[in-house]
Amino acid sequence: MSKIYVQNLTKKYGPVTALDNVSLEIDTGEFLVLLGPSGCGKTTLLRCLAGLEVPDEGKIVMGDSIVFSSKENIMVPPGKRNLGMVFQSYALWPHMNVRDNVKFGLEVLKTPKPVAEKRLDEVLNDVGLNHLDQRYPAELSGGQQQRVALARLLATQPPIFLMDEPLSNLDARLRMDMRVELKRFQSAAKATTVYVTHDQTEAMTMSTRVVVMKDGAIQQVSPPDQLYRQPANTFVADFVGMPRINLVELTSEKSQGNIFTNEDIQVDIGWAPDCSNIVIGARPEDILISHDNNLGTQQYEITAVLPNGPEIIVQLNRGRTNLITRVPYNSTFFEGQKVWAHFNKSALNIYSAASRSLIYQDTAKHTAAL
Amino acid sequence: MIKVSTLNIVGTKRFQRTIADPVNIAILLLLAILSYLIIWPFVQLMVETLTWSDGDRRISRDAVPGKFTWFHWLQATTGPLSAKMLYEPLVNTLKTGITATILALLSGGLLAWCVVRSDMPGKRWLQPILTLPYIIPSFAIALAWETVFRSPKVGGQPGVYESLLGIAPPEWLSYGAFPISITLAIHYFPFAYLLVAGALATIDSQMEEGALISGASRLMILRRITFPVVAPAFVAALILTFGKTIGQFALPFLLGAPTQFHTVATMVYANLTLGLDSLAFVLAIILIILSLLSIWFSNRFVGKNTHRFETISGKGFRSRVVSLGGWRWPIFISVVCFAFLVGILPLILLGVQSVMLIDGFYGLENITSHFWLGRSNPQIAFGEPGVLHNQIILGATWNTLKLAFISAVIASVVGLIIAYIAVRRSHNPLARALDQIAFIPFLFPTIAFGAMYLTLFAEPVGPIPALYGTFTLLVLISVVSRLPYSVKTGVTAITQIGQELEEAAELSGASWAMRFRRIIMPLASSGVLSGMMVSFVGVMRELSLIILLITPSTRVLMTVGFGYAEEGLAQLSNALILIVAVLTIIGELILMWIGKGKMARLREKQS
Repeated sequence: MSKIYVQNLTKKYGPVTALDNVSLEIDTGEFLVLLGPSGCGKTTLLRCLAGLEVPDEGKIVMGDSIVFSSKENIMVPPGKRNLGMVFQSYALWPHMNVRDNVKFGLEVLKTPKPVAEKRLDEVLNDVGLNHLDQRYPAELSGGQQQRVALARLLATQPPIFLMDEPLSNLDARLRMDMRVELKRFQSAAKATTVYVTHDQTEAMTMSTRVVVMKDGAIQQVSPPDQLYRQPANTFVADFVGMPRINLVELTSEKSQGNIFTNEDIQVDIGWAPDCSNIVIGARPEDILISHDNNLGTQQYEITAVLPNGPEIIVQLNRGRTNLITRVPYNSTFFEGQKVWAHFNKSALNIYSAASRSLIYQDTAKHTAAL
Repeated sequence: MIKVSTLNIVGTKRFQRTIADPVNIAILLLLAILSYLIIWPFVQLMVETLTWSDGDRRISRDAVPGKFTWFHWLQATTGPLSAKMLYEPLVNTLKTGITATILALLSGGLLAWCVVRSDMPGKRWLQPILTLPYIIPSFAIALAWETVFRSPKVGGQPGVYESLLGIAPPEWLSYGAFPISITLAIHYFPFAYLLVAGALATIDSQMEEGALISGASRLMILRRITFPVVAPAFVAALILTFGKTIGQFALPFLLGAPTQFHTVATMVYANLTLGLDSLAFVLAIILIILSLLSIWFSNRFVGKNTHRFETISGKGFRSRVVSLGGWRWPIFISVVCFAFLVGILPLILLGVQSVMLIDGFYGLENITSHFWLGRSNPQIAFGEPGVLHNQIILGATWNTLKLAFISAVIASVVGLIIAYIAVRRSHNPLARALDQIAFIPFLFPTIAFGAMYLTLFAEPVGPIPALYGTFTLLVLISVVSRLPYSVKTGVTAITQIGQELEEAAELSGASWAMRFRRIIMPLASSGVLSGMMVSFVGVMRELSLIILLITPSTRVLMTVGFGYAEEGLAQLSNALILIVAVLTIIGELILMWIGKGKMARLREKQS
């Protein structure tokens, strides 16, 4: 059992608040990704879990031991928390060869030599490095260094893995392959994993749940699909998804509950929220365009057509409002054309313009979001 | 909600944690030790000048040993002897210091430009020769000067000058301000050279090319672009060189004392040999103040101006060499002559001198190996046997190597620990204080530092025994005087080791001691090793730091050599100083070799 509980964690560096009253529960065997722009506190949270930073307030429980508590004055040093970590730079010791790098942790644990050697062979074989075990880190490629860091993590079989942007130093192609491998090792080891990244593709593809952070506070904790379909506030909506979500501020027309407008466009959202000032969030694929007005309600001008492999990104304009939509690669749209656009009502997210947070349509949806 | 009931608590309390952290223990321990070894001696020296001592009873009837008095300060500044004791030496110090500094800067700066920015040939092998005068003991240059310009008017045998020309050199050429300034300049120009060369290497030639495109002439570029950019480094070098010259003891003593020409540094020594301890300490404090002032000015100047003159390096940075055209070979020949004159000739002179039976007579029949291989002969050199049979010299050689080795090792390890603390715990005010205290010895002129230890360790204090006359005291002062340098090397080494490397080990559960031994030490080793070698060479050629603390049982080569020179046994002192010079050069060669190995390894890593 290696559940992790984080309770009301706060960490300040002088006037800067890196973590602001963060609470989180991480299940055994879960792959939890901490996602956010740089400086949002995700790495600080990870380092607090590792014990490399001492939080100012709060409590961290791992498995069945309290590893940090400001009230009870408990701080378990990193080496006693029984966890492994992969650093962004891999932190391989340049003066030790691959084998010694992996062996270090076992040595510290005073593992008997035959057992340690057997485990070493096993782990190096798993990551496919047994033929390179006498090499020094400087003599390895980026991907191989990454594997050594992974082997070092696996060697002592900790129940908790911490990873700090482990793939950010690899090129795009290698990153894809390593994602699959990391995931494979994680599920084989059934380790509770906390993974920090600023790359949303990594977050979406690998996680069981994603935590989006901003300015030291958690914005949303959700499985990846929900994070994309139902962002909890405009920050998350804007941060997740490429191309970006269309966020348009609208106000309600008097006496027409479902219709919201600004000076350029008019959208029927299909239901009537409590407030009159809202922001709609429409993913590019949720705006449909066509040359005739069979489903569209308003006409837009195409200002840019950007082919992108399997899809084409089309920029629309009406007055001062710009929208982005995506259409299949074989569509025929050209710059300067006038097209009809239609918002997919059921996929729209409605945010309060004042609080910037999601307004739920009904109670059923509300509980599902939690 | 979290169920806490079943949780077992394995943590320790925060207070215990802070106390049990080995790094915190190290900080407190080092703070205590360094305060006692660096700050306390200065306080003691100050107190000593402000109290009556037992010996003062023969000078003044008012003396009450142990009571406060301004007597020593008044005696030095306004007493009847003050002109001879303080003002004349002060003027001499400034006169020789300033002249030497200007000469060193001019020659060093010019050479730096030739080597860094011009297409002069032979740069590769000229550079080490040009730094030679700074590597060998300053004392060696003084001895070589004396070999040439010794005047029988002062006593002893004639020098090369008189033997060749048949007339005695004028006294101003043999002793006093002129030779002291010149030899100081010869010793320190490589120092200025290295500083200016460093600054010149940072100039992006695109700045100059920009001016060239605007139609500026080459001279105008030098005057309007190149010089203003290196000016701050130049001024800093000026002040630092001056600060170094004023602390020199052996060189001005050898070339000044015979004609009663004294600087503040030699006066400290002279007063101590006369038993006027308190007066010597007053002069030592004045020397420290001079040194502090010069470093303060240098920092102020550089601090104010570096930002303004910061050259933006990075992309597109390149350094173009300036073509000397027709001047290429004439300039090359002059530089070679200069390098030979200041770098190689002094060593040859010392070597030749050490094989002459009777000093000053040049002929084959006068050549002897007695001073190297001979056994005791009462007719030669008061019966002193040659270097290889001389028990004093062999003992001193052993002492020198032992002192240099032990001090270098301790200074490097302690320096590395302090550097680790300063880098990794930079948010801790105590760690910063430690870093600053370790730098203080840099501000003390070495002879004044020696004087401090003389007062501090003369008598036992509490559990600390009277260390005067022991080898331990020499090790202590050598280690402390090397600390500013070894901490600096350590800081460079530690900053290059990513914090994550250590954190990774920490996560595996390795203790601090294990991390330091298994991760930090091996990774810092190449930097620390070269730092250790620098300290080894530095301690070996040190004289003014330890001259006041040496007793017959703790003699080292430099002090024995100094002793022979004082007694007029030129051949033996030359032979000894030559040994030290050769040892230091070997040390430097090893350093260069280490450096090359390091470069090769770096290249290997990058490829």
